[in-house]
Amino acid sequence: MVTETITAMDPSGLKAIGAGLAVGLTGIASALAEKDIGSAAIGAMAENESLFGKGLILTVIPETIVIFGLVVALLIK
Amino acid sequence: MQLLQKFKRGNSKKSPSKGHANYAYTTARVRAMKSKILPKETYPRLMNMSIDEITRFIGESEYKEDIDELARNYEGVDLIEHALNRNLAVTFTKLLSISEGDVNFLVGEQLQKYDIWNIKTILRGKYCNASTDEILDAIVAAGRLNYTFLSELAAKNTYEEVISELANTEYHSILKNYDGTNLSDIENQLDKIYYVGLFGAIGESKSKDRKLFAEFTRMGIDLKNLMTLFRLKKSGITDPEMMNLMIDGGLKLKLKDIQRLLSLSFADFVSELEKNYYWDVISDVVSPDMVSLIDVENRLKKHRLKSAASFSHVYPISIVPIMDYMLSKKNEINNLRIVIRGKAANLDDDIIKEQLVI
Repeated sequence: MVTETITAMDPSGLKAIGAGLAVGLTGIASALAEKDIGSAAIGAMAENESLFGKGLILTVIPETIVIFGLVVALLIK
Repeated sequence: MQLLQKFKRGNSKKSPSKGHANYAYTTARVRAMKSKILPKETYPRLMNMSIDEITRFIGESEYKEDIDELARNYEGVDLIEHALNRNLAVTFTKLLSISEGDVNFLVGEQLQKYDIWNIKTILRGKYCNASTDEILDAIVAAGRLNYTFLSELAAKNTYEEVISELANTEYHSILKNYDGTNLSDIENQLDKIYYVGLFGAIGESKSKDRKLFAEFTRMGIDLKNLMTLFRLKKSGITDPEMMNLMIDGGLKLKLKDIQRLLSLSFADFVSELEKNYYWDVISDVVSPDMVSLIDVENRLKKHRLKSAASFSHVYPISIVPIMDYMLSKKNEINNLRIVIRGKAANLDDDIIKEQLVI
């Protein structure tokens, strides 16, 4: 008699992996974008301090990417 | 885009990477510096001021530190002149110190112009037996050779000692042929080695910003050659020997075109130029019976500044905006110098205005 073992993966595990990927990858993407903007903002600020406000805002704009990732992660859950 | 270019560069063996390049930081900082360049509306105002008022005006702007520093030793026109030179040197060495890796390398190559300038100044000084102070006054230590080293060179007694001090530099192969009489020949060769070095630095890189930089450099060569041609033609020189004044590597004006133009008379030269790429830039100021070349030279310089600005918008995060800034800064200093020297010589306002490149 042949017995067949079936391994079923827990769907909640897959969900957790998906959510992790969504946050992790978007985090990397935001970091890459912010790296250049941040250093450019520092450069401009070194010459003209009044650019601090603008520099700060521009630096956090790519943050939206990781927020979308977070939202997707929460939706998956 | 930069990542992509980095990968492309990584595969090309001809242009080895010089380490991490901080393009974003440098270009943003340079753009902020560019915003402090005097706007063109300033010049008419400067024209209405006396030398002392100009000193004060400049002393309240970006040149404050330089004026304060030098006010002890100089006054009047000399003060402004030295402050301008000092500011140029400080600004350009600052570019070297804020940049890293690839950017630093390219800026350094571009600034070799000042190393060559300084070596030429010292040799000229030695040629006409100028004192060390006189030579130091004319030095702009904006390149890789620093002021201390240059002042040591200027303090040497003979040109042989100067040249032996420079034995470890790339200029020695040319300088060793200097025999005390062929200064102009050596100077031409030094100028040419600058461009050879620059093209070597650009390499045969496939990345678009390097290509643009190469195009920009080659356009500069074109304009330089064109100015030399105008001057030669105006003074009626057709000697083929003069080809050694021309710089190879132009964009739209190749050496063989120049060779052809060199043998023509001024009127033929002008009519031949009509087919040239740069004719649009200079068409309304050039005629066979023109007297002064100032207008043409100004137009060509202005064209270079304009094209530098537009190039820098095509690739905002590359070496080009930095080159654009260097050109604009140099131009600002030239303009200020024209204004104060003109004022000191009691020239008419119209004559001074004619000379300004704004």
